[in-house]
Amino acid sequence: MLQYTFRRTIAVLPTILCLIVICFFLMRLAPGGPFTSERPLPPAIMANVLERYGLDQPLYVQLFTYLKNIFFNFDFGPSFAQRDRDVNDIIAAGFPVTLTYGFWSAVFVLVLGIPLGVIAALRQNSFWDYVMTGFAIFSQIFPNFVLAPLMVLTFTLALGLLPGGGWNGGQWEYVVMPAVALGTSYLANVARITRSSLLEVLGSPYIRTARAKGLPERTIMIRHALKPTLLPVISYMSPVFVYMITGSVFIDVFFSTGGIGQSFIDAAYTRDYSVILGLAILYSVLTFVLNLAVDLAYAAIDPKVRSGLK
Amino acid sequence: MKTTRLTLAALIGSTMLTTAVFAADVPEGTTLADDQTYTYRVLDEYDSLDPQLLEGVDSSTVARDLFEGLYNLDAKGDIVPGVALSHEVSDDNLTYTFTLRDDAKWSDGKPVTAGDFVYAWKRAVAPETASPYAWYMELMSIDGAADIIAGEADPDTLAVKALDDTTLEVTLSKPLPYFADMVAHTTVFPAPKWAIEEHGQDWTRPGNMVSNGAYVLTEHVQKERLVRERSDTYWDNDNTVIEKVVALVIGDENQALTRYKAGELDKTDIPAGQYPNLKEELPDEAYAVPRLCNYYFSFNLSDQGPEAFKDERVRKALALAIDRDVIVDAVLKGGQFPAYNFTPAATNGFEMPDIDYADMTQAERDQMAMDLMNEAGYGKGGEPLEFSYLYNTSESHKQIAIVATQMWKQKLGAQVTLDNQEWKVFLENRGNQNYDMARGAWCGDYNEASTFLDLLASSSGYNDAKYSNDRVDELLTEAKSSHDTTPLYTEIEQILAEDMPVIPVYHYSVNMLLKDDLKGWPMENVMQKMYSKDFYKVAE
Repeated sequence: MLQYTFRRTIAVLPTILCLIVICFFLMRLAPGGPFTSERPLPPAIMANVLERYGLDQPLYVQLFTYLKNIFFNFDFGPSFAQRDRDVNDIIAAGFPVTLTYGFWSAVFVLVLGIPLGVIAALRQNSFWDYVMTGFAIFSQIFPNFVLAPLMVLTFTLALGLLPGGGWNGGQWEYVVMPAVALGTSYLANVARITRSSLLEVLGSPYIRTARAKGLPERTIMIRHALKPTLLPVISYMSPVFVYMITGSVFIDVFFSTGGIGQSFIDAAYTRDYSVILGLAILYSVLTFVLNLAVDLAYAAIDPKVRSGLK
Repeated sequence: MKTTRLTLAALIGSTMLTTAVFAADVPEGTTLADDQTYTYRVLDEYDSLDPQLLEGVDSSTVARDLFEGLYNLDAKGDIVPGVALSHEVSDDNLTYTFTLRDDAKWSDGKPVTAGDFVYAWKRAVAPETASPYAWYMELMSIDGAADIIAGEADPDTLAVKALDDTTLEVTLSKPLPYFADMVAHTTVFPAPKWAIEEHGQDWTRPGNMVSNGAYVLTEHVQKERLVRERSDTYWDNDNTVIEKVVALVIGDENQALTRYKAGELDKTDIPAGQYPNLKEELPDEAYAVPRLCNYYFSFNLSDQGPEAFKDERVRKALALAIDRDVIVDAVLKGGQFPAYNFTPAATNGFEMPDIDYADMTQAERDQMAMDLMNEAGYGKGGEPLEFSYLYNTSESHKQIAIVATQMWKQKLGAQVTLDNQEWKVFLENRGNQNYDMARGAWCGDYNEASTFLDLLASSSGYNDAKYSNDRVDELLTEAKSSHDTTPLYTEIEQILAEDMPVIPVYHYSVNMLLKDDLKGWPMENVMQKMYSKDFYKVAE
C-alpha cells in the first residue's frame, strides 16, 4: 500500500509541472497585464514596477525563477493586485475558510443524504420514498444561485436569525448558510445514488444467503449491505469534495466569506498571474490527493480492489 | 473662494489656516448612542494599506483613518490643519515651509517629526519602492521627483528637507497654485521608517503597523473585513466619537443592500437604477450627492480611427444628437447631471463656461445635428455612417450604449455596432487606439479643473482620443501657474465644444444608503474623501 502511494505521488509530479507551464503561458495570452489600468502608468514608473516584480525579464527566465522559488523555497511569488501580500499569504488566509464550510457542507451532504437514500430504498414507493424523490427534484430546480438568495431573504431579512454573509472568524452562524447552499444539490444526488445502489445490493445473491441464514435484518444492513452500497457514493463524492473545499466561486462571492473562490475570480480579472497559478496548483494537488484517498478508501472497503493494489 | 484665498496667500507670503472644525462636530444637547461602531461595505479587497503604494479609493479611505498628512480636508473639501498647523510660501512661490504641531504622536508613542515626511516622500519616488502612484509626486512639481523616478538621480536629491523636527521645507520645480491642497493626499502621508525596516512588506499587518492617525488597525481578514479602533495617542483623540470602524468586503451590491436592510451595515452603495425606489422606501437614508467624475464617449482621432471622425461636423452631430436628459432620468435615475462640457460643475473654483449647445432645446440640437451630418455628406441623405462603439462589460454601460446608438440611428441614420469587452481587454484596446469610439470616464485626483482638462493635453498618457490642439496645450500650461484660471478654462472648454474630441455625457453622483443615526457625513465633499473621526452616532 505504501509503495503504491509513493508510486502514484512520483507519477503525478510531471503532470503538475506540465500544468504549471501551460497555465503560465495561458495567463500571458490574455490581453492586458496586472498593471494595465484605467490610468496607464507613465513609462518610467511602469518600468520600475515591472522591474520590482521581475516582469521585465524574458518569459522563460520568469518561468524558471518561478519554478525555482516553488521547488526550493515553497514560495509562490508576490501578488500583483494586493501589494502587501504574497500568494502564500492569500492561500493561507482564504483556504481555511473554504475548507471549513466545504467540510461542513460535505458532512451535511453525507449525514443527511445517506440515511435519506437508505430509508427511501427500504421503504420503496412509500411516502418517504416520494419525499426523497420530491426533494431531489426540488434541489435540481433550485441550484445554489437561486437557493442562496432565497435563504438570505428568509433567514436574514424575514426572520433575522442568521447573518446575511461574512465570516467573522468562522462562527457557526456564518457557516450554516454557505454550507447548506453549497451542499443541497449534492445531498439530493447522494440520496439518489444511495437509494439505487442499496436496492441493487439488496437484490444480490449474498444478501439472500444472509437472510436465509436467519441473520437479523439490522446485521444484514450494517455488516453486509451498507459497505458495498457506499462505493458509488464515495466515487461520486471525491471530485465533489475537492470542488467543495476549494470553494465555489458563487458561494464565496455571494456570502462574502473571504474564501479562495473569491481570490480565484478576482485574480483572473486583475491578471494577478501568480495568484491564478498558485490556486491552479493548489486545485490540482488537492484533486490528486483526494483521488488517491478514494482509491485507498476503495481498497479498505473492497477486498477485491485491495488485492489489485500492488 | 479658493482662488481668492490663495491669491491673498501669495500676496502676503504666508497663510494660516482658520482653525475651524476638527474631528466630530457634535451639536450641544445631542445624545450619543452607546454603541459607536460604524460599519460600511467595500466592494473589494484593498490593493495595499501602505500610504505610498496604495491606489484604490477604498484603500485611501482606510489610510485617512490610520494616518494623517500635513493637512486634512473638512466637510466641504477645503484643507484644515492636520500634522501641519500652517505654511509659508516664498516670494517666488517655489518654496513651501510647513510648521508641524509638536504634540502629534505615532501609535507607538514616538513623536511625528518632519523627518517622517521626508522619509515617506523620498520613499514614494524611489524606484525600488516601485509605487504606481509616484506620478503624483511629479504632479506636485516637487523638485527632483521626475529624475529620481526615471532612475537618473538618487532619492536623497528630492527637494524636501526637515529643518528641525517641526519644520518641513519643500521646493518646487515650478509654481503650483494648488500645491497646499495636494498635501492632503495619501501618497504624501508620513511613514514610520523603523516599522518598515523591521517588518518589510508585512509592516501593514495588525500588530506590526505603526500609524499616526485617529485610528489604529486592529484586525484585517483579507477579502472579508478590516477593523480599526480609536487611537489613544492621536493628538485630537478627545474629540473622536466613533470608537470602532468596520469595513466589510461584499462583492455583490444587491447582497450588500440586503445586509444593509438587515441592519448589518451603516452605509452601502445603491445598485445602479435602484435609487428612485429606495428613495421612496427609505427617504431619510437614500442620498444622491455630486461626485467629481465625468462619463464620456471618446472618438479615435488617431490614424487608426475611422475617416469620418476626422470631420469635426460628424463629431459634433453625434454629440448633439444625444438626449442626455433621457440617459440621466430614464436610464441612470440616480441624480446624475447631464454634461455638455468636460469638467464637472461641482469642481472647486470652476465656473461653468458658456457652451452654445448646452442652452439649446433637444429639438434644436437634433436639427443642428442633422444639418451638420448632411453638410459632411453623411446621414440620411448621403453615405451611411458606420462605426463600432467599445465599452467594458457592465449592465449600466450597456444600457447607455443601447440608448445612445438608438438615438444616433433614429436621428442620423448611423449604423453602430456594439462591442463589449472584459475590463483589461478593453483597456488594452482603447489604450492602443484599437477602436472607433469608446466609453471613457475620469474621476478627479484633486479638486481642481486641471485634473480633468489635462487629460486632453497632447502629451497626456490618458488622452486615448489622441486629440491634439496647440492652443489647448498652451492654455493648460498657462493655467498651471496662473492665479486666475477661469478665463483659461472657459476658453479650453469652448474649444473642446467646437472640436468635440470626446462627447461629454454626464457627471457622476454618488448613490448611497446611510443610516439616519450616523451623523457628520461630508455630503458637500465632492471628492468623497471622509474621515471616520468626523462622524458620530446619535441615540435613536
